[in-house]
Amino acid sequence: MSVAQTIAPAREQTRARAPCEDGFVEREGVRVFYEVYGRGNETTFLLFPTSPISHSRLWKAQVPYLARRFRVVTFDPRGNGRSDRPQTAAAYGYWEFVEDGRAVLDATGAETAVVAGLCDGGGWALMLAATHPERVRGLAALAPCVPGLTPAHENYTRFPFDRPLDTDEGWAKCNIHYWRRDFRGFLEFFFSQQLPEPHSTKAIEDCVEWGLGTDPETLALADEEAPPPWTSAEEARALCEGVRCPVLVVHGDLDACQTRERAAAVAELTGGTLVTLEGAGHLPQARHPVKVNGLLRELGDSVAPPEPRVQRWTRSLARRRRALYVSSPIGLGHARRDVAIAQELRTLVPDLEIDWLAQHPVTTMLEAEGERIHPASAELASESTHIESESAEHDLHAFQAIRRMDEILVANFMLFHDVVRDEDYDLWIGDESWELDYFLHENPELKSAAYVWLTDFVGWLPMQDGGEREAFLTADYNAEMIEHIARFPRIRDRAIFVGNPEDVVPDSFGPELPAIRDWTEQHYDFAGYVTGFEPVADREKLRAELGWGPREQVCIVTVGGSGVGGQLLRRVIAAFPQAKREVPELRMVVVAGPRIDPGSLPQDEGLEIHGYVHDLYLQLGACDLAVVQGGLTTAMELTANGRPFLYFPLRHHFEQNHHVRHRLERYGAGRRMDFDESTPEVIATAIAEEIGREVEYLPVETDGAARAAARIAELL
Amino acid sequence: MTTAEAVTTREQSRARYPDEEGYVERDGVRVFYEAYGTGEPTVLLLPTWSIVHSRVWKLQIPYFARHFRVLAFDGRGNGMSDRPQTAEAYAETEFAADALAVMDATGTGRAVLVSLSLGADRALRLAAGHAERVAAAAFIGPALPIGEPHPERAALRSFDEELDTDEGWAKYNRPYWLRDYRGFLEFFFAQCFTEAHSTKQIEDCVGWGLETEPETLALTHVAPGLATREETLALCARVRCPVLVLHGEQDAIRPLAHGAALAEATGGQLVVLEGSGHIPLARDPVKVNLLLREFVESLP
Repeated sequence: MSVAQTIAPAREQTRARAPCEDGFVEREGVRVFYEVYGRGNETTFLLFPTSPISHSRLWKAQVPYLARRFRVVTFDPRGNGRSDRPQTAAAYGYWEFVEDGRAVLDATGAETAVVAGLCDGGGWALMLAATHPERVRGLAALAPCVPGLTPAHENYTRFPFDRPLDTDEGWAKCNIHYWRRDFRGFLEFFFSQQLPEPHSTKAIEDCVEWGLGTDPETLALADEEAPPPWTSAEEARALCEGVRCPVLVVHGDLDACQTRERAAAVAELTGGTLVTLEGAGHLPQARHPVKVNGLLRELGDSVAPPEPRVQRWTRSLARRRRALYVSSPIGLGHARRDVAIAQELRTLVPDLEIDWLAQHPVTTMLEAEGERIHPASAELASESTHIESESAEHDLHAFQAIRRMDEILVANFMLFHDVVRDEDYDLWIGDESWELDYFLHENPELKSAAYVWLTDFVGWLPMQDGGEREAFLTADYNAEMIEHIARFPRIRDRAIFVGNPEDVVPDSFGPELPAIRDWTEQHYDFAGYVTGFEPVADREKLRAELGWGPREQVCIVTVGGSGVGGQLLRRVIAAFPQAKREVPELRMVVVAGPRIDPGSLPQDEGLEIHGYVHDLYLQLGACDLAVVQGGLTTAMELTANGRPFLYFPLRHHFEQNHHVRHRLERYGAGRRMDFDESTPEVIATAIAEEIGREVEYLPVETDGAARAAARIAELL
Repeated sequence: MTTAEAVTTREQSRARYPDEEGYVERDGVRVFYEAYGTGEPTVLLLPTWSIVHSRVWKLQIPYFARHFRVLAFDGRGNGMSDRPQTAEAYAETEFAADALAVMDATGTGRAVLVSLSLGADRALRLAAGHAERVAAAAFIGPALPIGEPHPERAALRSFDEELDTDEGWAKYNRPYWLRDYRGFLEFFFAQCFTEAHSTKQIEDCVGWGLETEPETLALTHVAPGLATREETLALCARVRCPVLVLHGEQDAIRPLAHGAALAEATGGQLVVLEGSGHIPLARDPVKVNLLLREFVESLP
């Protein structure tokens, strides 16, 4: 038996929720790995894996949501993930997977469970329900495979599996000889067939990566050579008829693996409900996670003891006027402008109550401002932690980092959806809240309040070294967004660009797609820039209040709220001795921010190091020079106050390298620095050249928050 | 016994007319019922206090009839049912027995009970004493001796004696009813509908109230039913079926705490309707319809 993982999997992306328990069950020498989530919940939800072409991450978009209500158990199929890869066909018989599922239930102390499975896993879940009705309280079978119940999908009858073929085209790739030559090629073909929905690149990439967790020989044993579970259609029918629990069958009408006839037969013979997803393929749990989550939750709720809670409904005219503000936690910049907009909004609508659905580090600022943070915020999966985990030395591939945040985005959207289902809000405001905007367009029936979208950039742009693939992916993301807006103009009641039309980049969304600026002017209101503060009026007075001497040359070094900036801080600190020699009056103040421990930074005599500074914007307004990353907010605060600054865009960060750079160049603001070429000596020289310099930037408007609020208030 | 027809105005058009109607007769008292729709399960809309009749459910019947089978009947003392002239004829046991008779007459083995206000007593009796006939019970603004009444009602001195004032709840008084029955109805239903802009609902109820007479209504007031918290809780403890309680937070007839106590005593689910009064089924029909449908469909 081989337990080798033939190909080291790519680093797993950040999960939205970690298991509370994991372990192995062993049957006849084969070890199967399981995970448990949501300990303490009463009802267990067992999510079967499917064929070893995949593993338990298949359910990544379901686990975080279901685990808030149920105890969720997943396991890797023998043949993939962290389970063993036995090398006999008999070890992959259908009943073996069923028994693995039962063994996992035993090992996790679950006497009964709601069971769910996809494709093969749907068949296994059904077999468990039919043969052990005392263990199964409800069954969800997605695109179920019950062999022999109905004829197999024609895609599997086109070519023989084990004979050499004279073609590799199409379904001829479903052949062991091709698998041995180009397993990845097969996986890419297969999953592009199973995810026929446009704009499925991320889901396909995930599936291919999971498929590479096994090898062609193992997969052939499981999918082609294992003994059939029964020998006649009658046996398959009898099995279905033996299911007594409530049954949900879900089937996409574009499924290229399991036929509609088979799904319909399962539903009919089990007395279950068939839900057809139109326009969906074989993997709706990945491509339509919000809908599938809702269906699974509904099934679970129907068999689980009700949650003991008092429901409240408020009749319309008795409702208070309320808004829910969802502020992106990526960078602290959004928080300051969002607070400013919220304050202006309350001026216009004095009885408005605003709740914030936000996470660290945004919550740090909101708490300091006395804003009300919705208690559900504590359950948000951390985006900041993910972004930090995606970054390297002064390097953040922002586009891929957002793509690899898909699980977190689904989890956080589901939380948002629960909040607004239980509480009445008149208005949802999302400042670069990608989960909200994306999934509302994917699930337009869930929009039940006015919705405002705010952003300071439009358009995913490829980095040059990303090559054709990245150019294709960014264009695909842009195309989906453009189609969303064109098809559902009713979702965004207001789309507000934080800036002016000239701030929009001159690029195109991609081949055969519109110019970004034209399109943005057609689809957005422009609020002007929102700094969230008045520019410093009396700099001398402010400097005195901050305790800075009149002759001191103060240089503030900050990376905002990001945890990605440690390397920049260290390099600027290394430049301090030389800079101090060149500028004897230099006073350097390093602000580590809320996500970097100031104690982790090197100290130097005469160097000040602080953690979070709530009124950092005042210090930036008063300083003689700032050294910052390429984030928009801090750079624009400096621009508005007419301060000289050095900025270092993060490598591979398309927003900082394209969008922000474009805007700063328009304002004539700041001196852009290349991190790779900036030795401490280069930085020290630049500090000496720039500090205290008189600058002539374009003016930054001060009424942006009021303009944004005025457009939003029209909806209340 | 009078069978007077005090019909005041022509009934307005209905959204749906019954598929079947008829009378059941017990001890010489005839009770009029209607049946709508053919779905599953059967939902029995119980009569509340005979100050109104089955039209109080007019905003529920057409919707429920599309999904379920619906039974409704006029409580004895109003509508097209008889108006016996003894207090005993209005005992809660009689209303419960009428409900069973209607179920029998319509071939209904089991039903989901939905009750409003004083209908709660008969619903509890059926759910506790005839569990095999009751699939579930939903209560709206239940009126049961299960907690302290609103203070202004607690201060009432006498139902039968002439009082020295007609102000406010002093109108809940037999001599006043005999002097100015409409005045009482208008006061009472204004209390039922604490929500602003409820003119139509109040007019409807006053109209239904005028279809009976103060003498008959007074008999219902003194008829036997649950009288103490202890016996009410004992009955609640015998209820095994799923229970839903809807209660308006601004209910000026029966406090929200009573609905909460009923939900707790029966292990039921409480839905608090913020800003709602005593008869949300008339004032917020869409929400009540959806909540009730969801409850019925959640039943095993």
